[in-house]
Amino acid sequence: MLDFHNEYVTMPDWLMKNENYTPLSDKDSFINKSIFSLLKVLTKIRMQSSYAEERNLVNVNFRVFFTFALIVLLSLSRNPVFVLIVITYLLLVCAFMPTIKMIQILRFSILAALFACIILLPAYLGGNAYSFIMIPSKVFATVMAVSILSSSARWDSIISELKRFYLPNILIFVLDITIKYIVMLGEFSLNMLYALKLRSVGKNRSKYSSLSGVAGTMFLKSREMSEEMYCAMECRGFTGEYHVYKKFNIRLADFFYILINVGIVFSFIIFG
Amino acid sequence: MHIPDNYLSPSTCAVLGAAMVPVWATAGKKVKEELPKAKMPMLGIGAAFSFLIMMFNIPLPGGSTGHAVGGTLLAILLGPYSACISLTVTLLIQALLFGDGGILAYGANCFNMAFVLPFLGYSIYRFIKDRIHSEKGEKLGIVLGSYLGINAAAFFAAVEFGIQPLLFRDSTGQPLYCPYPLSVSIPAMTIPHLIITGIVEAVFTLFIYIFIKKVSPGTIYQGEKQKTKAIYGFIMGFIFLTPLGLLATGTAWGEWNIHELKTILSGGNTSGFIPKGMANGFDFKSLLPDYSISGLPEITGYILSAVIGAAFCIILYKVISSLIKNKSSKEDL
Amino acid sequence: MIELKEVYYSYHGINAIRNISLEIKNGEAVTLLGPNGSGKSTLLKIINGLVFPHRGVYRFQNEDIHQKRLQDDSFSKSFHQKIGFIFQNSDSQLFCSNVFDEIAFGPRQMGMTEDEVDKRVNDCIDLLKIQEIMNRQPYHLSGGEKRKVAIASVLAMNPDVLTLDEPMNGLDPKTGKWLVEFLRCLSRAGKTIVVSTHNLDFARKISNRAILLNGSHSVAADLPTDNLLDNIELLKKVNLLD
Repeated sequence: MLDFHNEYVTMPDWLMKNENYTPLSDKDSFINKSIFSLLKVLTKIRMQSSYAEERNLVNVNFRVFFTFALIVLLSLSRNPVFVLIVITYLLLVCAFMPTIKMIQILRFSILAALFACIILLPAYLGGNAYSFIMIPSKVFATVMAVSILSSSARWDSIISELKRFYLPNILIFVLDITIKYIVMLGEFSLNMLYALKLRSVGKNRSKYSSLSGVAGTMFLKSREMSEEMYCAMECRGFTGEYHVYKKFNIRLADFFYILINVGIVFSFIIFG
Repeated sequence: MHIPDNYLSPSTCAVLGAAMVPVWATAGKKVKEELPKAKMPMLGIGAAFSFLIMMFNIPLPGGSTGHAVGGTLLAILLGPYSACISLTVTLLIQALLFGDGGILAYGANCFNMAFVLPFLGYSIYRFIKDRIHSEKGEKLGIVLGSYLGINAAAFFAAVEFGIQPLLFRDSTGQPLYCPYPLSVSIPAMTIPHLIITGIVEAVFTLFIYIFIKKVSPGTIYQGEKQKTKAIYGFIMGFIFLTPLGLLATGTAWGEWNIHELKTILSGGNTSGFIPKGMANGFDFKSLLPDYSISGLPEITGYILSAVIGAAFCIILYKVISSLIKNKSSKEDL
Repeated sequence: MIELKEVYYSYHGINAIRNISLEIKNGEAVTLLGPNGSGKSTLLKIINGLVFPHRGVYRFQNEDIHQKRLQDDSFSKSFHQKIGFIFQNSDSQLFCSNVFDEIAFGPRQMGMTEDEVDKRVNDCIDLLKIQEIMNRQPYHLSGGEKRKVAIASVLAMNPDVLTLDEPMNGLDPKTGKWLVEFLRCLSRAGKTIVVSTHNLDFARKISNRAILLNGSHSVAADLPTDNLLDNIELLKKVNLLD
C-alpha cells in the first residue's frame, strides 16, 4: 500500500520506466475535423461580440429589412440584369468593408455559387442555360447579402430587430440564450475533443463510443447549465416575460442607404 | 440537407412556412404545458446543443467523415415539441448568422428538419418501444426512428426540389428554380441518405442514447403512452397532404406572384418588360452585350460594367495588399 | 526536453504569449506563476501541441513541433503519449461511461492486451486510491474525484512529462494536500512536471524552479522557487500580490 506522507513510496514499475511505444496507425481524422468546425464557429461568434460598437453607420433595422427585401426580389427576379445590378451593389458594399471580412464574405459566396454550378452542371449539359446562369448568380448575391449583414451588424441587434417581424419576445429571449450557450457548450465540447485527441495515442476500436461520450456529456452539461440558469433567473425575479428595448433614430447614412435600396427596388420594377 | 435560397420558388417557401405556423403554435402550447414557464432556458440550451451536434464530424468506414442532424435524438431526449422549437431556433441561427440554409427557404428547412424529422423519428421510436417491452425494442426503436426520420426529411427536401420544374416555368418552358424533376431529385437526395447519412445518424443516435442512459437515465424525456396516437395521425396526414397542396395551388401562385407584383409596383403599367432574353438564345459568355441587343439602353450595360470594374479593382487591390502584408510579416520573422 | 525560443502567440490580434524563451530539462519540476490572463494556460496548450506558436520555435525532445509535423499521424500520437495534460476543468476531460473504461482508454489504444490493460488500470487505481469509485460514472463524481480520475487516465499512458493546468482549483484542503504529495512522488520517480498555478504556497511545495509571467504575457523571472517567492517586490509588480 502506498502512503504519501511517508518518504518511501513505491510506484508501479511500468511508471518508473520510459514507455517504449510505437503508435499504431488509425483513421481518426474525425477528431481534428470536429475540432476545426467548432473552432470556426467559436471564432466567428467571438469576433462578432468583440465589436466595441457598431462600425457601420446605417441603422440595423433598415439593413435587416432591406436585406430580406433584396432576397425576396432576387428570388422573384427572372432578369439577369437585375441580378447583375444587385451583385454590383453588393460588390461595392463589400469593397468598402475591412479587408479580412471582405475576403471571408467573398470566399463564402463564391464557394456557394460554385457549389450551385456543380449541382446545375448536368442541367446545363442537358440544355438548360437559364438555370445554370441564374441560380448560381442569385445564390452568389443572396449569400453575399446575408454575409454582409451578419458580419457588419452585431448579432444581438439583428436578433432584437426580428421583433419587428412579429416574433414573440420569448423566442428572441431563447435566441439570445442559444448564442450564449453555443459559446459555453462549444468551449466545453472543444475541450473534450482536445482531451480525446491528446489521449488518442493509438488505435481506437470504438470511435462511436468515444464521440458519443463527448456528445452525451455535452447533453448532460447542457441540462445542468439550464437548471443553473433557471435558478439564477428566478433568484433575480424572472417571471417568464421578456422585453426588448431598442432606441431608434435616423441619421444621414440611413437616408442614403434607404435611397440606394429604393433604387434597387425600382430597378426590379423596371427589369423584373 | 439545408436548402439554400433560390432553389425553391418563394411561393413554395411561403406554403411550407405557412404549414409550419400551426406546428409552431402547437409545439409552443405543448412546451408550455410540459415545461414550467421559467424553464425556458432549456429551449435555448437545447438549441445550442443541437447546433453543436451538427458540428460534429462522425467517422465513416474508410476514414472519411459525415455529419448527423440529431433531430430524432433531440426528440427522444427532450420530447418532440421541445425538439421542434430547439431545431427551429437552431435553423434560424444557421440561416441568419452562419449563412447555412436560405432565409426564404427557412420555412422549408424547418418543415423538413424541425417538423418531419423529429416528429416522425419520435413517433416511430415510441411506436416500437411501446410494443416491444425490452431493451432491444427500445434500441430498435431508436435505430429505426432516427434512420427513417432523416430519410423522410431528405425525401421531403427532394419532393420540394422536384416539384419546382413542374410548377414554375417561364413562358418558354424554362424552369425558373431547381430544374430537376422528381425522377432526378428523389434518387439524388435519398440514395446518399439511405446508404450513408441515415446509418451514421442511426448509429450516432443510438450510441449517445446508450451513453446518457448509462450515466444519467433521469434526464431523458418521459412522454405519455398511446394518448398521443390521434395527434400523430393528424401530423402524418398533414405531412402527406402538404406536398399535394403545393401541387394543387402552386401553379396559380407562382404565376400570380410575379405578374401581380409587377402590376402593383409599376402602377398598372405592365407594357414594360418581361424579359425574353434567355428565350432568344441566352448566351452566358456575354451577359451584357446580349442585353444591349435585346432592347436595353446600351448605357446601362456600360455603367454596370464600369461600376463592377471599379468594385473589382478595390477588392483586388485589398486582396493583393493583404497578401503582400502577410508575406512581408512572415519575412520579418 | 522542452525548449521554447522566442515564442509568440496571438488570438484575434491580441497577444496571449509574447517573446517567451525557456528550457525545461528532463526530470525537473517547474511551476508557471502569473496573474489571471497572463498566458499560463496558452503556454501549456502550446507545450501540448494543441495550438501552435505564430512565431518562434518549440522543440520537444529535440524535435521541432509545428502544425505540419503533427499532421504526421504516427509522430503526433507518440508525441501525445509522451506528454500528458491535466485540464483545468476535469469535467471536460472525461468522456467515458465509467471510471475503469476512462483509465483504460489510453492503454487500450496503445494496443495492449486486455490483461496488461487490467494491470495498468488497477495499478493506477491503487496509486490514486480510487477503488471505491471504479465502477461509477465519471460525470457524477465530486470535483476532487474527477481530478483524480483525470490524473489516473493520463498517467495510465505513462507519459514522460506531466503538465497540469491549475490543478489546485476546486480541491478541498485534504485533496490538495494529497495532490502535493502525489506530485512530489511522481517527480521523485523521474517524471518531468510542469504546473501552472497562482497558488504560491503550492508552488513552493512542489517545485524547485518557478517561471513568472507578467501582465504583458512575457517572462518576468525564471528563478529557483524559493528565491522567486521571497522577492515580494517582484510579485507585487506583476500584480500577483498587493
